[in-house]
Amino acid sequence: MSSTPVRVRPSGYSVVKAGPRGRFLLHRRSSVVAAGLLVLLATVCVAYLCVGESFVAPGEVVKVLLGQPSSAELVVGTLRLPRMAVGLLVGAAFGIAGALIQTVARNPLASPDIIGISQGASALTVGAMTFGITSYAFLPYLSVIGGIAAAALVYVFAWRGGLHATRFVLIGIGFAVALRSVTTLFLTKGDYLVAQQAQIWMTGSLNGRGWPEAAPLAWTLLLLLPAVAWAARAQRTVAMDDDTATALGVRLGRVRLGLVALGVVLASVATGTAGPVDFVALLAPQIARRMTRTAQIPLVSSALLGAVIVVLGDLLARRLFSPTELPVGVLTAAVGAPYLIWLIIRGHRGRSGGTA
Amino acid sequence: MSPSPTTDAAQTDSRLAARALTLAYEDRPVVHELDLAVPDGQVTVIVGPNACGKSTTLRALGRLLKPRGGAVLLDGTELARIPTRRIAQSIGLLPQTPVAPEAITVSDLVARGRQPHQSWWQQWSDADERAVTDAMARTDVTALADRSVDELSGGQRQRVWIAMALAQETDLLLLDEPTTYLDIAHQVEVLDLVRQLASPAADGTRGRTVVTVLHDLNQAARYADHLVAMKEGRIVAEGRPGDVVTAGLVREVFGLEAVIVPDPVTGSPLVVPGAPWTPAPASSASVPTPGKAL
Repeated sequence: MSSTPVRVRPSGYSVVKAGPRGRFLLHRRSSVVAAGLLVLLATVCVAYLCVGESFVAPGEVVKVLLGQPSSAELVVGTLRLPRMAVGLLVGAAFGIAGALIQTVARNPLASPDIIGISQGASALTVGAMTFGITSYAFLPYLSVIGGIAAAALVYVFAWRGGLHATRFVLIGIGFAVALRSVTTLFLTKGDYLVAQQAQIWMTGSLNGRGWPEAAPLAWTLLLLLPAVAWAARAQRTVAMDDDTATALGVRLGRVRLGLVALGVVLASVATGTAGPVDFVALLAPQIARRMTRTAQIPLVSSALLGAVIVVLGDLLARRLFSPTELPVGVLTAAVGAPYLIWLIIRGHRGRSGGTA
Repeated sequence: MSPSPTTDAAQTDSRLAARALTLAYEDRPVVHELDLAVPDGQVTVIVGPNACGKSTTLRALGRLLKPRGGAVLLDGTELARIPTRRIAQSIGLLPQTPVAPEAITVSDLVARGRQPHQSWWQQWSDADERAVTDAMARTDVTALADRSVDELSGGQRQRVWIAMALAQETDLLLLDEPTTYLDIAHQVEVLDLVRQLASPAADGTRGRTVVTVLHDLNQAARYADHLVAMKEGRIVAEGRPGDVVTAGLVREVFGLEAVIVPDPVTGSPLVVPGAPWTPAPASSASVPTPGKAL
């Protein structure tokens, strides 16, 4: 005998009141997951600051963070902290970018490093390097332009009276392959030393990154924060099929374009800073979603998980084969590639469509 | 034989109407200069053979398809001139095969019907809660609230989708073949629900206006207040099922010889196919020769 509740709310959500008219839906499990990830991220960050060529006690690390005089000032405050800040921001940006692009493409395989954004950034950056522009004052901007241009091309070619999700992904993959061969062309034409430098950049690395890279990235993310807040809500509406969403009064074309544009900018800015750190944008949203069990990909958890992956990845890449320091991209690729294969195998075994 | 079209509709009010509506996919015209006034507070059923343009017409009524010519009017204003969100506050539409986000719960899906009434800072109001509760009670899916939509049976899932459309609280509801993929018991269940939606409430307020496309002519005749028969992109006949469904119409629209008898339960016209199908005398060229089969 089922006693029917008097009022039905979307299950799993709580209503949070804010001010006289504000009513927000909060997914309870997502909130718990986000809180847990925040604790995990804090732990990883402390570990990142402690561990290195020389070990610094957590107490000293806290001292440095609070601005108190400490003997570890140079190692922690000058060397590790800025690099970690870049890692945090890049990871968060990749996490959100991946979530947004996967949402619009309705495909867990669609992420900036699969559908051509990273390759566009690489092609333009490596091209510039071979033509003698090697200054890190210019290269990040070029790679942002490259990424956005590649995404715009993919979008235009995939558009046929509407954005068809599968066509978007397939054309993206096509562009990615084409752009990668352009990059290879530049690499073979170019000077040996430039090619080596380009190769490291293309793997994605936090080597030598610090406050000068962290600051513009932080400002960009801060400016985009209102857009991300919009996206978190708008995402709900594009999860349905096109007809249902339109019937619910959603201007699908605009919402999709907005979500993709935001994702592309975030991915391009992150790529410009650290190079294409492979698979972060692919992994973070999918893992986050499995944790929160929500109908759409959770943005906050994706951002936090992206940050955890990059910071932890960089920590491991620095220490695992010490004294050799690997670029973080090598580690994320080593973890991400098997995951991608698993995703594809699972996708083919299960239902052929409908994976969002 | 067309019993003077539009007289029936002209007597009643009509919020939703099509004027000289021409529809096409790419360059292939599907519907030609169609005029239709949807009678308020009634169930209008569009029937016709495959590819006659009935679903296409319904999609255009719900602004899912832009007219190539003519217009769809809501309260006298062209749909193209009304913001899509405002349309969504008046017209609800359930597509033929809606797709739910993976792993969504029933109550979450139904709640999304409230989309056109919500804003960024007001994601859940008392009105939302009441509408969702009512819609779920009406479609009898309240007990399924916490279940995942993925794990429901076809009949349950269809009721959940209708609940979502109901939660939208629109005067007009368009349903594109809501009984496809359902067994006969669930078909009847869904259509009975549709009938209820259009019937006036206890306090005398008018029921909803429902427009639906159905494949089954007998179901259409049984559940429609207003029946619209289409063929090759044009309306062949419209009116009350008792007036419209005749042997002549079935022959003209479906090319089927049939006998019309009163439905023993409701008295509505029941179409019983007459002569069995025989191949038309074909040219010998199109007949496959058995010897060449292998």
